[in-house]
Amino acid sequence: MDRETIERVARAAHIKLTDDELERYSRDLGEILTYFELLDEAPGCDDYGVNPVEVADILRDDEPSIRIDPDELLRDMNTYEGYVRGPRLS
Amino acid sequence: MRSYGLSEIRAINGKYSMFHAMTEEEPSEGRFHFSAKDNLTSKGMETCSGSRILEGYRPAFDATSIERMKAAGGELIGKTNMDEFGFGTFSTNSGLEVPRNPFDLERACGGSSGGSACAAAVFEDHVSLGVSTGGSICCPASFCGVYGIAPTYGRVSRYGLIDYGNSLDKIGVLSSKATDLRKYIGVMAGKDERDPTSCAQPELGDSHVKLGSVAVPMEGVEGLSKDVEAAFRSALVELERMGVDVEYVNMPSLKYAMPAYYVLATSEASTNLARYVGMRYGQQEGDLSLKFDDYFTSFRSEYFGDEAKRRILLGTFTRMVGFRDRYYAKALQVRKVVIDDYKRVLADHDAVLAPTMPFTAPRFDDISKMSALDSYKADYLTIPANIAGTPHMSVPCGYDSDGMPIGMQFVADHWNEEVLFSIAEDWEREFELRRPEVVA
Repeated sequence: MDRETIERVARAAHIKLTDDELERYSRDLGEILTYFELLDEAPGCDDYGVNPVEVADILRDDEPSIRIDPDELLRDMNTYEGYVRGPRLS
Repeated sequence: MRSYGLSEIRAINGKYSMFHAMTEEEPSEGRFHFSAKDNLTSKGMETCSGSRILEGYRPAFDATSIERMKAAGGELIGKTNMDEFGFGTFSTNSGLEVPRNPFDLERACGGSSGGSACAAAVFEDHVSLGVSTGGSICCPASFCGVYGIAPTYGRVSRYGLIDYGNSLDKIGVLSSKATDLRKYIGVMAGKDERDPTSCAQPELGDSHVKLGSVAVPMEGVEGLSKDVEAAFRSALVELERMGVDVEYVNMPSLKYAMPAYYVLATSEASTNLARYVGMRYGQQEGDLSLKFDDYFTSFRSEYFGDEAKRRILLGTFTRMVGFRDRYYAKALQVRKVVIDDYKRVLADHDAVLAPTMPFTAPRFDDISKMSALDSYKADYLTIPANIAGTPHMSVPCGYDSDGMPIGMQFVADHWNEEVLFSIAEDWEREFELRRPEVVA
């Protein structure tokens, strides 16, 4: 995989790579994708899904419920006046 | 029942590094002790999933699996070391501690539930919860000489599991006692509305099923080390002596399972890991004056390990416009073809059987010389059952010339765990299990 493609993929994934990493992942992913060419010759089918077994559609009653105390969830978060702190939007 | 005190647990952990976090209180008498892989949330006990990016995360709730073990009288004594987010075959891809094999400290425990297998082998009367995505229960069970089962996908609720691949992850059990598999899968199984994938399951069978026949795929006996091949052949002879018919079969789809698995697993992982951005959990001390994207990128670049970055990149690439059909859609089709292949063979046999791993636990210095692809290829025996979501189990079946354990893996049809429980219980009566010499 060429360096330009790896850089584009890394940007999409929010990862900044060092020069060493760019070189290493470029080599590794190239090798792995070459191996994946085996999939081109694999038999296909039409009746496939995204899970290996049938999955039920389960909906709970549309009633408000709190399983975990919000203060508990906020305990270890970086907060300010009860709000989660994050970076600037712009 | 053997019980361990806090100082003893700490001393043992100092030698084997099976736990990342441990209980801080003296374990109580009368409750059974268990440990859980560190990607299962545990209330008040640090949960990092082997990653530096989650250091300091103390969940406010127990995963359903842990909750049910506690309700059954269990006491959680430790969270087990693992490959970061489950990304590995040897538990060496960790941002934290690497567990050591109880039979040889210079060798790996296998992965990614390596710490769980180590704990199951070292502590007496101990059960450990593992999680399998591509073989992460059976591989370390084989390397550490214990029993390990991954039930059908959806049998045990994944609520509270830090996801690797949502369509692949399964919570199971590792123990040096075969009877623990039935007992503790029974404790954890059942519907949980917090994980809809658990809600279509039929009731877990609990009868004893006499094993009548096993199918050995020709594709599963290729590329084995000499010792593994010899131990496996001896085990087949023993099974025949026990009255089991052994038949060799062809399962041509198995060779496509490995690339299909890595496409599906990394595609799902790359989206799951998008949530780790230096807010809400774990590492959060960053430069808040940075712009949104730069802030997120700074955390992910600093705290994700080498293999996590590699799998995120791979998964992001295979989902990109122009590649989706070639990789992701094709991998889903291959999964169905593999399932159909298992169903075809299991229509005539009780289980599919092959060695669990092609070699015994490697030394750490040999692992460091392996390429990423070499490491992926080592999973070729455990991946097919995982991609198919079929229940599978590794049982100890021999030891190599250095005394390292060897395992064999049985695969049953969806929801048919009881045949695996029965096989393990029957096998345990015939096979002399060796325990490692434990010196803290």
